[in-house]
Amino acid sequence: MDKSQLFGRRLPLDQAPPEGHGIPALRQVNGRWQCQRCQQWIGVNDYLPHRIPYCRHCLNLGRLTSHTKLYTIPEPNQFATLTHSPLTWQGQLSPQQRIAAQAVLRLTQAGRNQLLWAVTGAGKTEIGFPALAWALQRGWRVAWTSPRVDVCLELAPRLARAFAVPQAVLYGDQPRPYTYCPLTICTTHQLLRFEAAFDWVIVDEVDAFPLATSPLLQLAVRRAQKPTGSHLYLTATPGQDLQRQIRRHQLAVTYLPLRHHGYLLPPLRVKLVANWQSQLDQQRLPGNLLRQVRQYQQTGQRYLLFVPHVKDLARVQQALRRAGIEGGVTVHAADPQRQAKVQAFRERRVSGLVTTTILERGVTFPAVCVLILGGDDLVFSTAALVQIAGRVGRQRDHPGGDVICYATSQTRTIQRAQAMINALNRRGRRLGGRCP
Amino acid sequence: MTTCVWCGRMVTPTVTLATLWHWQPLSTPAVCAACQNRLQPLHAPQCPRCARQQTTTQVCHDCVRWGDAWVNHAIFPYDAVLKAYMQQYKFQGDYRLRVVMQPYIRRALARETYDVLVPIPVTAGTWLTRGFNQVTGWLTDQPFQQVLTVDDAHKPRPQSSKTRQERLRSPQPFQLAPAAEKILPNQHVLLLDDVYTTGRTLRHAAAQIYLGGAKAVTSLTLAR
Repeated sequence: MDKSQLFGRRLPLDQAPPEGHGIPALRQVNGRWQCQRCQQWIGVNDYLPHRIPYCRHCLNLGRLTSHTKLYTIPEPNQFATLTHSPLTWQGQLSPQQRIAAQAVLRLTQAGRNQLLWAVTGAGKTEIGFPALAWALQRGWRVAWTSPRVDVCLELAPRLARAFAVPQAVLYGDQPRPYTYCPLTICTTHQLLRFEAAFDWVIVDEVDAFPLATSPLLQLAVRRAQKPTGSHLYLTATPGQDLQRQIRRHQLAVTYLPLRHHGYLLPPLRVKLVANWQSQLDQQRLPGNLLRQVRQYQQTGQRYLLFVPHVKDLARVQQALRRAGIEGGVTVHAADPQRQAKVQAFRERRVSGLVTTTILERGVTFPAVCVLILGGDDLVFSTAALVQIAGRVGRQRDHPGGDVICYATSQTRTIQRAQAMINALNRRGRRLGGRCP
Repeated sequence: MTTCVWCGRMVTPTVTLATLWHWQPLSTPAVCAACQNRLQPLHAPQCPRCARQQTTTQVCHDCVRWGDAWVNHAIFPYDAVLKAYMQQYKFQGDYRLRVVMQPYIRRALARETYDVLVPIPVTAGTWLTRGFNQVTGWLTDQPFQQVLTVDDAHKPRPQSSKTRQERLRSPQPFQLAPAAEKILPNQHVLLLDDVYTTGRTLRHAAAQIYLGGAKAVTSLTLAR
């Protein structure tokens, strides 16, 4: 085996390599076993026969038992410092984007941990380009990660076109084997295989599932970064925890409150409805929601209707049909025709799409309005609501549109979402943002 | 509050008047209701010989081709759900998942009539890598006899990676353990295995057990 495979990694091997340092994969601390790859505690029942403990938390990456050893070679940064910038991207940043990009670059050079808080549809990826070019030119090892595999898959070809450096793409069932490269694009799960490897870790969609709720993955991000390294979080909707870190000045922040076309975000409007759940059980929808959908039908306006759960999809569709509204299709995560349906909506072949939160981020539809049924449900977190609202008005020709949330009560998550949109719009107005 | 061993979601114990009345600790199921519902046992009509799920109750094509009167009972069809289960339990080596199938195996064994229970063994190499026998993992406290042994030389690669033709041609991998001659004579033996695919493995095992003097051999598999 090539020893570069072990640079800054933490791999279980059957045979000890000629170089490298091996530690037992499971360590006993005060009578409890702890996995040295994912740092989680082994459950009291997670034993093989003969009382051999094994880790169930990171089982997907290959099982670790107390007999396994993890090998690593400290990251040597064996990359040549480049004489000229590896950035081959020819695109232009807008004036607002350029200011943000400069700020990110300065903080990167200072080695600060930072957050880029840019509204949905601001072009976050490109804002990171100048700083990434600088880091790669210095011979840094950089990871661009995201909790969502589709983000990684979409990003890899874009970065391959924009930067003339070798890159490794890692995710669950990747077709190509791992290679030692200055730029690694991977899912956050894959970071469990690294240890003190990266000078700079970029985490895209840092508030997305499952990173936001998984201490295992949050630890993986911290451990993959060198003690001397820093990280850049990209998000449109930082969670409570990140916002607290900003207030305490533990995390430097760069705001970009304006979209690339210079319009403000459409506000989130709430309409109170009485007990939408029991109405749905009787295959009925709230009257004001139906009136709104009918109005969209008459004007030819396309709409996205978000519902909390997969099981609500069929009921909502039946209720719409009973009310005489046709032309809507439903889509959810496990839908085999998911891609085809989303494509049909994008090409304006269907007038409405009833969906779960799978379409909350990462998709752009021209000129849509958004309706949210049951915005008070636990599924719709503050981040989810802001992201859903961000589906509207992403294009220069159609910068506005309705975002209406139907809920039984103004829950705290809804209020926080409204507060976040309003705060971003206040900042945007200072920079000369216009109302759509 | 506990989580389902299979999907990891929260499981809440159901509290009824009876549980309150008995004043015993609440027993939370190891598997959540959603996972329980995904497991759909085999139902009629089946092949009377190998328990394959089909549209008639006639002996299926494969059993006719075997030309013997082998009787196999099975619990689940080998569908996507069982494949996912076997992938995690057997191939990823998640031994904890054995508790999902333990109740099903217990109930199925209670319905069978047999004298000696013989699980299909795994090779020494598999023991080293997997660390357990996937079949005996499902047994809770049912007595069984490990009268068969299998060595690595006969299994250069796993059965599951072969085609049907290759599997049918595979040579006899089992031997009788030394203790077998005391245990087997004049006994009705029930073989226990994970999946019945072609029936080759079970027939190889049965041939050896008949050599040991058993009067009858039938089999039970988790999936068909």
